[in-house]
Amino acid sequence: MKFTITREQLQEGLGAVAAAIPAKTTLPVLANVLLEATKQGIRLSGTDLDIAVSTTVPAEVDAEGAVTLPAKKLVDIARELPAGPVRFAAAGEARVSIECGRSKFKLLGLPREEFPSFPAVKFDGAWKAAAGVVHKLVGHVAFAASTEESRPILNGVLWELRPDRMRMVATNGHRLAKMDVPAKGGSTADLIVPPKALEQIRRLFAAEDAIEVAKSDNHIGFRAGGTLVFSRLIEGPYPNYEQVIPRENDKAATVDKAAMAAALRRMSVVASDQTHRIRLAFAGGAVKFSVQTPDLGEAQDELPVTYEGEPLEIGFNAMYLLEILKYMPTDEVRLTFKAPERASTVEPVGWNDPASYMALVMPLRLVD
Amino acid sequence: MGGSPERRGVVTSASYEARAYGVHSAMPMARAVRLCPNATVVPVPWEACARKSRDIKEVLERFTPAVEQASSDEFYVDLTGTEQLYSGEPLAATARRMREAVARETTLVVSIGGGTSKLVAKLAAGVAKPRAGTPADGVHVVAPGAELEFMRRFSLADIPFIGPKFQERLAKLGLHAVSDVLRYESETLIGWLGRREGEWLAERVRGIDATPVEPHREPKSISRDETFPQDLVEDDALATRLLALADRAAADLREAGLLARTITVKLRDADFTTRQASRTLADPVQSNRTVYEVARELLRRLRAARRVPARLLGVAVSQLVTPDARAQLSLLDEVRPLETERDRIISRVIDEVRERFGPDALGRARSHGSA
Repeated sequence: MKFTITREQLQEGLGAVAAAIPAKTTLPVLANVLLEATKQGIRLSGTDLDIAVSTTVPAEVDAEGAVTLPAKKLVDIARELPAGPVRFAAAGEARVSIECGRSKFKLLGLPREEFPSFPAVKFDGAWKAAAGVVHKLVGHVAFAASTEESRPILNGVLWELRPDRMRMVATNGHRLAKMDVPAKGGSTADLIVPPKALEQIRRLFAAEDAIEVAKSDNHIGFRAGGTLVFSRLIEGPYPNYEQVIPRENDKAATVDKAAMAAALRRMSVVASDQTHRIRLAFAGGAVKFSVQTPDLGEAQDELPVTYEGEPLEIGFNAMYLLEILKYMPTDEVRLTFKAPERASTVEPVGWNDPASYMALVMPLRLVD
Repeated sequence: MGGSPERRGVVTSASYEARAYGVHSAMPMARAVRLCPNATVVPVPWEACARKSRDIKEVLERFTPAVEQASSDEFYVDLTGTEQLYSGEPLAATARRMREAVARETTLVVSIGGGTSKLVAKLAAGVAKPRAGTPADGVHVVAPGAELEFMRRFSLADIPFIGPKFQERLAKLGLHAVSDVLRYESETLIGWLGRREGEWLAERVRGIDATPVEPHREPKSISRDETFPQDLVEDDALATRLLALADRAAADLREAGLLARTITVKLRDADFTTRQASRTLADPVQSNRTVYEVARELLRRLRAARRVPARLLGVAVSQLVTPDARAQLSLLDEVRPLETERDRIISRVIDEVRERFGPDALGRARSHGSA
């Protein structure tokens, strides 16, 4: 193995894969980056066994070959090197010499055979999507996934691929986010993807990239340009979320998002640390906020709203509402209700976008 | 010697006469009895200990409200802000007055250590303990700025949270005593041990410990365990003991007015291998039935992995929350909740009966050997 690469190309390649490499691991080779010198350039790969990332950067390859090197050390060396071409050459078994100007290094690695092979995901017949669209879906939905271990399936984001649309849904059992975007072609599939993998997509692919998405039995693969991302899929089926989306909510309030968020933040100062319980009373043209926490105190606030329906008093976890508001893409939002113990919806108002977006939140009981 | 008279479990405490034979606390009772065959083993009077412990705390609380109970016989007292109250009296003098007050009102002799952190105070209390051949008189105060010099005398094993496994790792790096560690910069220690542990160790050996004295510490977990008089071999016998332990842990949980989301079962095999398994639930629970049912499944898993005689079994509940955590309504209720209203009512009735007629008034048939 022998090749010459610019410092910038080396840093770019390492930057792409380094985030997939675990800081601590019981399998030493996972702390390494796999370097493969091929006719196309240098392919760099890293994995924590859940997610694998690989990318190819241009280089002048004199002799093909492969080795794994400690990722953190290589990143540190690349950062400290002077500007100029960097020459890599095999120097004995799993040993590599790195030269740049007058700086010389020899790094000990591990043989490439020890590096885990990547999942076999075939990209023929892959779905195609603009990275910007996937970013939008992930950016509005992934936050709602559960981070608790009690129901592993809720730790994933459901990605429904249909001939005419793509949808992402995530929930922790208390609140839910769902977004649809129109799409063309492609077959039908339901994938449950770990949010960590979707985060990599957001990080690695620019909005204008066209991504190919493919799956095998247990894995999902993403490809754009010379960069590939693979992730384990979470086994389904995903809970039937359609049946919990309320269709009979007969009360609706339209509010200013920023004003509502500010009031919620004020109220939550005095809310219980555990439940973050606040009370909302909708009637006429106003919503009254109140909170009462034993051993702490109470607070009230009020906002003008456009409200249609019978007066309603309802309790919420203020944190859930604040989080949902944060992801709403418009200045005004519409909330709908049926009753104090039934699901409420939150939607953007006047969103000029082909996508459709909604969030759902279950109330907190007000009486004890 | 104090401990279980069935000669299982460990020595709780030993008289100086028994210590002369090499007996010390936390030693397995069987070994202690071999070393000192003429020792009298008496059961620990738990209730009297708890009463004395409360009495000591009350005396200390007259000096400052910031009293944290670390164990039945260890307390941390924060005197920050009392300087004016005690007219600038030296810390050692306040400590002596505390010691006298405790002795007068509880007839118990305590040792008091003082310092700028909980760590230094704890180690100083050990130094303060009167022993033959030392000048110790029950009070030892480390002056601010003298921490480093004070720490030099200790071995790393003396520092709390440096257990046998950590000691082994440190020994491999040639680190046995505080003075060994002081030779290295914290950056070097971080390189060897990682950031978290490296920084922690660099601070501790210098007597730096920012942990505050917490008078009202919320419990993080509640646990009950039992060392058996004889190793238990049968799964059924273990399940019966588990039932009693789960009942007690759940009752403690309800008495504290809390619910738990995580349940852990600990099993110590006859060869002292300790294993545990836990499960975190979507919704918190507090009834006897649910705690037992989850624990039963965990025990089954532990026994399936290794089925050898067991010497200790324990049940712990953690991730504790107050009852209003249950006020959050759920979107996805297709699964039947683990704990029903009926479970809660039954548990409440059990508590009421035991409250009125004593702890043994109501028990499980199985625990009485008739199931």
